[in-house]
This record gives sequence, structure tokens and C-alpha cells, in this order.
Amino acid sequence: MAIACSLSLLLWPARRLRSENFIFYFPNQHKSLPVEMMDNAIYLPLIPLLNVAGQVTGLQEKRNSLKVWFGDHQLEFHENKTRIQVNKASVSLTHPVRRSEGQWMVPTGFIPAVLPQITGQPVLYQHGTTRAFIGNIHPVSYSVELQNQPSGVKLLIHFTGKVSIQTASTNGKWIIFLQGVPVAPLEQKIQFQNPYVSRLDFDDQDGRPKLIITPTSNALNFYPQISADGRVLTTALVKPPSPQQPALAQKAPATAAPPSPGATIATLPTKPSTPAPAAAAAPVQSLPVIVLDAGHGGQDSGARSQDGILEKNLVAQIVQKVEGALTATKTYRVILTRNGDADPSFEERTVTANTARPALFLTFHAGEMGARSPVIAVYTYRAPSPPPANDKPLPFIRWDLAQQPETSRSQQLAQDLEQQFAQISGANAPQPMEAPVRQLRSIAAPAVAIEVGTLSPEVKAGAIAQPAFQQQLAEAIVRAVEQFVPGGAKP
Amino acid sequence: MTRRNLILALIVIPILVVSGFYLRALVRHMFFENRPRPEDEMRTQLSQQALQSEAGAEQQTVTLYFPNFEAGTLVAEARQLALAANNTDRIRQIVLALIEGSKQGHARGLPASAALRAVFLTSDGTAYLDFPNEVTQNFPVGIESETLAIYSVVESIIANIPSVKRVKFLIQGREVDTLDGHADLTGFYVSSQSTAAHAPP
Repeated sequence: MAIACSLSLLLWPARRLRSENFIFYFPNQHKSLPVEMMDNAIYLPLIPLLNVAGQVTGLQEKRNSLKVWFGDHQLEFHENKTRIQVNKASVSLTHPVRRSEGQWMVPTGFIPAVLPQITGQPVLYQHGTTRAFIGNIHPVSYSVELQNQPSGVKLLIHFTGKVSIQTASTNGKWIIFLQGVPVAPLEQKIQFQNPYVSRLDFDDQDGRPKLIITPTSNALNFYPQISADGRVLTTALVKPPSPQQPALAQKAPATAAPPSPGATIATLPTKPSTPAPAAAAAPVQSLPVIVLDAGHGGQDSGARSQDGILEKNLVAQIVQKVEGALTATKTYRVILTRNGDADPSFEERTVTANTARPALFLTFHAGEMGARSPVIAVYTYRAPSPPPANDKPLPFIRWDLAQQPETSRSQQLAQDLEQQFAQISGANAPQPMEAPVRQLRSIAAPAVAIEVGTLSPEVKAGAIAQPAFQQQLAEAIVRAVEQFVPGGAKP
Repeated sequence: MTRRNLILALIVIPILVVSGFYLRALVRHMFFENRPRPEDEMRTQLSQQALQSEAGAEQQTVTLYFPNFEAGTLVAEARQLALAANNTDRIRQIVLALIEGSKQGHARGLPASAALRAVFLTSDGTAYLDFPNEVTQNFPVGIESETLAIYSVVESIIANIPSVKRVKFLIQGREVDTLDGHADLTGFYVSSQSTAAHAPP
């Protein structure tokens, strides 16, 4: 009996209630559902989810299975199975269907896998997030830039589309409500190593997208301004003029007093203050952005070793280590193009990277590389054929030629990486090569592909799957990145 | 049971059993056995045509390129082939020779199970090679292996058929993003003399 109880406890799926909502955005409204964490995956209640997306028209529940009629569609679920039936066709989910307190739960992978088919609407969902966009919706994203000011800092938020804003302040934080369009942030929270601002969070738990700015001190003034036809939000965080500077203080705008944390406002100051000269200005630095791309994901496993190591998992482990090592320096911001077991398309990964305006981009792969294992190769992009000669310069960068102007800097980055890889004991690090790597083609920044090997069905993965080797690799990458783009300052 | 019925049963039962087995085999043969698909038959026919066109033709030395994974380059191998008169058939012959593999022990670019669905050669010197979906099965996956496989085909064709200026790869008649997740197949490939993925002989 005791053994049976212990086994039940062991096999019981890890479950954690999360006080978080999942937001569904529709063209003219939004709806929310509570999420539940099980086995480190986000789950949603099935029937409420289907009723959010449409209307459940029938149910037939048996002991371990459930049939649901959704309009003309029929869905069949089996408890603890990853395969479900949609109109008698089998669909595989990333995590199994569960039952929690009598309620049927599905992982969020259900949203992109099934909803487009049964609702007939386009569905946008990025794995690992708690928002989905159903219907003809084009959410905006944003990137963040810090600019030094003599007595403060300017936080520039570049949106990919037009937004309008409304501000408020509470509990020592400034809140900027983003109105007009749904927002799909690349990063939920951004931390700064800065004497004036410590973090920027995105929150839409109540269905209202907003940015929350946390200053380092309550004594700072806050001047938000929207420009570039609603595409750039500039927020100046500045020290108030000191009594020792009466002449300079007079230069402050003669408009309404700037809002400070603690008081709620609903209007914008008409103009940011004129900054005072550097009296007590601390050196302010913005962090260079490094984009890390773990290749493959989802159904696309990539290469496979004899002992069952999959490329998609191996490169995710390496990226995790590189991210940790870069973040530990506190001098870079790291953005990942894929979270968990998602499989964004080449273009989606490229959009993530280019929107972030990175200092550099690294894509990670593993594959068949002959008998010399472990080997770490670095590739820059080589187009299959020379780009067409343009008589007249174009006023924009062609998407498929975006990497071309970055070629020499990418080659320098590849050299820096190869020099560091050559120092890893026991590893082969050939000279950087050129190859038509699809993922590099449209990256508008220095970009290289790093491939480790050999990952082949004929041999075991060996050292490349070992955490110690991966850590060495991550540290070598950090040294090369520091050499290529010093942390804490824009290149 | 009378003696007469017993004899009748002894005769009829074996006949019924044998007939049952025969019917079962017949049904299996008609409905369940793998029969060559029309597309497979077509491919075989085209390959045979390309090989038959060699018959009677004079043997020529062609240069085939195979991957060298250790060096990240291609290595050249001379081969005697009776090349067809038609350039389209010549392209097919060269690709089939690459699929057949090296006779000097070099690594393989295309898997032995690969096939070629169709070859088109346009007047501007573009060779369109249409491979079936199965080309990615048993394929050595990776940036280096895909790059070397692509350039082994491109260099082998361009080196031996001067009228071919560039090569476009199609899979199952359609343009695809990559060969197997890494190498870009959206563009037209020209001969590469400077890439490290290619080393002239």
C-alpha cells in the first residue's frame, strides 16, 4: 500500500497554479482565461478555451476520453495522451492532455495546432507566452534603447507600428498604457544596469497592454513624449534641478509639473524638460543586444545521434548556457529567437532579431561533420549567387540581401570566435568558412552560424552533449563577444 | 454419417482449404503488395534512357566532386563516362554518377537512396534539378554536409557541361527554403571558386 502511494505521488504530474491569465486578442475585443502550470508547461481549460474561440455544441465524456463537437468539427481527447483527433485526423501536441480537478486541460500548443483549423481564422501564438491573437490582427512589437543625458537618461521605445499612450504612476513606478493595437513583446521584462532606471516590464494581464518603468529613485522626474507618428516613445528620466543651479532651473519647461511616482495622472506633459548640464551626471551606458538563435524545434528535430541526442535539444542547451554566461557579465541584453520547443520560421526568427537591432546574431546548429569530433565550425553567409548589380541605389535594404552590408563585420566576428574555440582543449576549430546558411541571409547585423559536431546517426554524440564541454563553449563565445563588442556600450 | 458422405467430406474439405489459401494470396497480391508507383516507373524510365543514351557513345573523362568532411572541401575524382549528346541527359548522367558514389572511397554527398525526378535546362544556362521528397531521407544533416552536397552537384555539372551557368534545386517540383534545415535553396547556385566549401582539384 505504502509503495503504491509513493508510486502514485511520484507519477502524479507536477502541478502548480499560477495566478496568471492567458489573454486572447480578437479584432475588437479580448478575453482571458486562468492558466495552470503542469510539468513546466502552460495549460488551459479546454471547454472554456473552445468557448472563447467559438461555441461548443456537444460533449460526450467517457472514463478516459472526451469527444467535443465544435460547430461542424469533431475533436477527441484521451487523458495523458499527446495525440488528439481533429475531424478524425491525428494531431500531435507537445504535451499530453490532462485532467485537473475534473476539468480537461490542454497545453498551449493546442492553440496554433488546432484553433486555425476549427475557427477558420489565422492564429498567432508564440510558444511560452500567455497571449494569442485570433483573426486578422497584426500586433506591434518594440525594441528599447537607452541614451545618456547629462543628469538622467532617455529611454527610447521603438514600436513596429503606431501606438497612442496614456500614462499613470503608482507605487513608485510609471505606467504607460499602450492603446490602439495589441502588443506582442519580444521580452516580457528588461533589466538595466543604469543609475536612473532599473527595469521595464510589459504587462497585459487585464487585457490592457502597458509598459511599467521602474526608476531607481522616487526623486526623478519623468517626461514621456510620443513622436515619429506614434512609433517612438521617448521617456526622459531626469534629476530635478538642484537649488545650486537657479539659472539652469529656470530653463525647465513652464508647463505642468512633471509627474512623479505616487500620483496618478492621465495626461501627458506637453514637452520634456530641458536637461541641465552635467552637474552630477553619472556615466550611463546602454547594453548591446545579443540575439541567440537555437536552430530547429517542434516537429523539426534536425540531426540525430546514434544515442538519440536531437539537434534541437542540444542547441537549446548550448544557447541556455551562452545566455547564462552573457547575462552574468551584466553588460549585455540577450534575446532568444525561440522559447521552449517552438519552431519559429526562418522569417519569424529574422524579424525577432532585426527588430531588436542587435550588436550581433549567433545561430546554433549541430550536424554531420565527419570523424573529427568534437568540432566547432563557424560560418558566415555566402549567397548562392552574386547579388544583382543595382544601377540606382534603393531607398531601403532588400530583405534577402540584408546580410550583405554586414559581411566584413560578420567575418571579423567569425575570426574572433574561431580564435576562442581553438583554445578549447580537445576541440577541433577549423578556419571560419562561408556557407549558404538560410538563417543568416536576412539578418541586418553581424551574424554567424556556429555548428558543433559530429551529430550523426552513425556515432554517439560524445563530448558535444556533455555539460562541461557546452560550458567551455559558452565561455569561449562570451570572450569572443566581449572582444567584438565591448559590453555596456553600443558598438 | 454414411460412408458416402464421409468420402465426400474428405474430398471437399481439402479443396475448400486450398481454395481459401489461394484466394487469400490473390487478395494480398492484388491489394496489399507494394507496386511501383507511376512516378517511380517514370524516374526509372528516364534514368534508363539517360544510361542507354551512353550506348555507342565515346567514353569521356568527367570530373566529379565529392565531399571531404575533414577538410570542409570538395575533392575531385576523374571518371570515364559515355556522355549523351543531349545536355539534359548529360546532367542526369552526372547526378546519377554522384548518387552512385565515389569509386575512390570519398564521402558521399547525395545519399544512395536519392533519385532525380526531372531535369530542365533553360536557354539562359539554368539547370533545374527536381529531386523527390525522399532525397532528405538518410541525408547527412548539417550546415557543412548540406553545403558540400549542394556544391558537389553544382561543381560537377558546371565543370563538365559548359553551357550550364547556374543550378536551381527543386524538391518535389517546388522551391523550398532549405535542403534539410540549413542550406539555402531559395537562390540559384553558381560555381564557387572561393568558398571554403569548395577546393579545386
